[in-house]
Amino acid sequence: MNPSLQPYLIEREPYYRAAGNEVALFAAAFARGLPMMLKGPTGCGKTRFIEHMAWRLKRPLITLACNEDMAASDLVGRYLLDVQGTVWHDGPLTTAVRHGAICYLDEVVEARQDTTVVIHPLTDERRMLPLDKRGELVKAHPDFRLVVSYNPGYQSVAKDMKPSTRQRFGAIDFDFPAPALETEVVAHESGVNPALALQLVKIAEQSRALRGRGLDEGISTRMLVHAGALIAEGIGVHDACALAMTTPITDDRDLLVALAGFVEAQFGPRR
Amino acid sequence: MTGNGNLLTRRLDVLRGIDRPTFDVLLADPAWHDGLGATDAASLVDLLAQVASEASDAALALASRLGDLIATVPDPNGLRKWALHGLQRHQHHPKARLRYFERDDPRPFADQESDADSADLLARRAALQAYLGGFGVVTHGIELHEPQATGQPPPAPALADDVIRFPRRCAVTSTQADRAALYRASIAHIAAHLRHSPLARLAGSRRPMLLATIALIEDARVERLMLRDYPGLRSLWGVFHTATRETAGFDYAGLAARLARALHDPAYVDSNAWVQKGRALFEDAAATDLQDVAAFEAVGRQLAIDVEKMRLPLLPSYRPQPPYRDDNALLWNMNAALPLDDEATAPREDYEFRSRDQLPADLSNVDVDTRRRTRHPEWDHRLDALREDWTTVIESGPAAYRGAVNRFAQKPVRRVRGLEQTPDRSIRLNRLAEGDELDLTAAVDGAIQQRSRLAPDGRIFRRHGRRHRATAVVLLMDLSVSTRRFVPGSFTTVLEAEKRAARVVAQALDSGRDRVAVHGFSSNGRHEVNYQRIKDFDEPFGAEQQSRLAALQGSLSTRMGAALRHASAALVGQTVDHKVILMLTDGEPSDVDVVEDEHLVEDARHAVASAAAQGIRTFCLTLDRQADAYVRRIFGSRNYLIADRADALAGHTGDALVRLVAH
Repeated sequence: MNPSLQPYLIEREPYYRAAGNEVALFAAAFARGLPMMLKGPTGCGKTRFIEHMAWRLKRPLITLACNEDMAASDLVGRYLLDVQGTVWHDGPLTTAVRHGAICYLDEVVEARQDTTVVIHPLTDERRMLPLDKRGELVKAHPDFRLVVSYNPGYQSVAKDMKPSTRQRFGAIDFDFPAPALETEVVAHESGVNPALALQLVKIAEQSRALRGRGLDEGISTRMLVHAGALIAEGIGVHDACALAMTTPITDDRDLLVALAGFVEAQFGPRR
Repeated sequence: MTGNGNLLTRRLDVLRGIDRPTFDVLLADPAWHDGLGATDAASLVDLLAQVASEASDAALALASRLGDLIATVPDPNGLRKWALHGLQRHQHHPKARLRYFERDDPRPFADQESDADSADLLARRAALQAYLGGFGVVTHGIELHEPQATGQPPPAPALADDVIRFPRRCAVTSTQADRAALYRASIAHIAAHLRHSPLARLAGSRRPMLLATIALIEDARVERLMLRDYPGLRSLWGVFHTATRETAGFDYAGLAARLARALHDPAYVDSNAWVQKGRALFEDAAATDLQDVAAFEAVGRQLAIDVEKMRLPLLPSYRPQPPYRDDNALLWNMNAALPLDDEATAPREDYEFRSRDQLPADLSNVDVDTRRRTRHPEWDHRLDALREDWTTVIESGPAAYRGAVNRFAQKPVRRVRGLEQTPDRSIRLNRLAEGDELDLTAAVDGAIQQRSRLAPDGRIFRRHGRRHRATAVVLLMDLSVSTRRFVPGSFTTVLEAEKRAARVVAQALDSGRDRVAVHGFSSNGRHEVNYQRIKDFDEPFGAEQQSRLAALQGSLSTRMGAALRHASAALVGQTVDHKVILMLTDGEPSDVDVVEDEHLVEDARHAVASAAAQGIRTFCLTLDRQADAYVRRIFGSRNYLIADRADALAGHTGDALVRLVAH
């Protein structure tokens, strides 16, 4: 492996609790070289999953958070100046392609559609990346893989992937795990006991019932882990839930009252 | 005589003009306004006139018992609420309406305390609805019970097919926090029923005592089940379990409350044998299987037999205790179900049996009215309250106006210019001579050119682009009869001037970006506000629309508030940056069934404010030179323009549009 990729290797196993057969599916697609798309609500474990898989498959992972201002040159690289003259700097995508890493584009629909088109030649049989400014054609390293993620819930109609981009990917749909699993995850990650973790999960379930009825997204597993960690550090349950779960998720007064009611339904009225 | 006394005389004159018999009854017994101030008396006369304009028999009945009513309800606003409630509720049932005004008791409407409680519940409704949704119940709304006669204990919360009704007076009258907790406790309890109770079991011939006891056990059972998922509810419900031997007493209600507490709170100790037995039986059944409904029904049956041996009666005033629990009517199917209020038992007067000779001979000639009807509320400034569903806006479908001739000369079309643009981050302008940030690629290119001793291109900046903001405009034309008048000092009618202005607006805006609709309205009482869509958002301003515009005639009156609300509703669905209602009128709002001076002006003001709350701006152009007083009140000091010449109206309209859109 190229030494420049060393920092991107994940050394310790990131905790991931499989909810179904996604690990086997991903490994199979990975072996086949198929680009993958991870869909699911925010905070349900997409990023954790890809970190875990990178560790498991012993591949460096180059992560890129996409945004609206991202241009194609932010992906593939550009000429910069130094004392002698111009030097070409590979972008993160080119680095991964050249030396064989997993390139993970987080929230890919946030990037503009014309930007994401640069990945097209990489994601079909050609597996190559033309660098037109440099006049170079980079053949993809056999270990190069492309993984993208996005949240189908809250993207606007204007922000969506082109069908021509979509059809190059295999996809795995993520959702919040079943209560028993989610309890296990929350207890493991935050250090609270499983009984308390289950109560947190019940609150999240109630909030997820309000999805589309005022809330864009329910309380995520990530928020539960934060709340649990605060409780484990000795913060009161009501304060921890307010800080990490209910207050961040909405500004609507009425919904905040209802969410506080869900906390009360688990832990009783605040003393 | 004082000015206020004059006011009363004036209002009485108005009433005489509307309904002479009512007026006579009122004068025959002048004692009714003895204790009242002149303003209150005048407002009562106004109320009578309002009732008289809809139902003279009801007004007569009201006038003849007015003295008694004022003696029992000294608050004229309570009386007003009661009368308006009757008009609205029985609007299609003349007989029920007459009965209401002859006999019904207005006292519940003057009950300040339950008013405050109702308002409090309604303010919490959205939060409670979301709380209910969290338990997975999304099928039920939250409403209030019908007003209850005073003196009776407040009803328990009740569950119907798609609605949960709360009492108008809250059982807990102390702090705000307690009240919120009571509502949450109720909702959690009802959610427990919906999740775990078998609903609408056949009651058969079971006695009320047996039903009540089985329901008591069922309440405890579903709460126990609910606590498995939501353990915190124990202390929420626990706050309300306060019954003890001393406070609750030994009648059935008292014992039931104590048993409820014993089943809820393991730490509670009760010396009564029946309560102890109930607890033991319940815990036995609970230890086996909480889901076994039949076993718990047997417990209830056993306990009911014991109560009857004690010869304790079930009083009609019995309510399940503690007060957060619902009336359990949902558990039983009574076959002939007991009515929750008399709405269900009110005789159906929608259908009327006619004798055969009254039937039209040929049914195929009967027109079916397919016009679209929409209800809107109206603001009552004296009560500070909305009268829900008070007005009916009727939209006539696209009628054939083809006969009308388009008499507008084709003039050059004036486009509105100078519209501001808004920044849009998705548009990026690269390689600019100046901008907000460096265009990195261009900067590198420039530096390369410099080093290779070429003249560098200095355009190395970039910034975000701007785009036009889209606007949706509803031009609302007043088509009342007064628009047939000529504008003073010209040979143009008001309507002609309005039409010209409408044409300017419809053609001025860029149809690729902005959306324009031309609507018109005229009213004939609250049940008939006619609304016409001359050109709708999705239509071009083509020949058909132009001839529709040309064919408009002025008739009837001006109920501005209803029209404004209807236009707002049309605008709300539009996805644009700006929403504007442009009102063209020639005078004050008025209608045939409204006699109070201020009512429609205040209603229109409220409609403008509600539109503003939805992000819709309103602007008024009027041809009434004396319009200052009311137009400013309705639309606000900067949102109107008075055109004094007919030919100026179209020009002013264009200017107003630029101002509105550019903001």
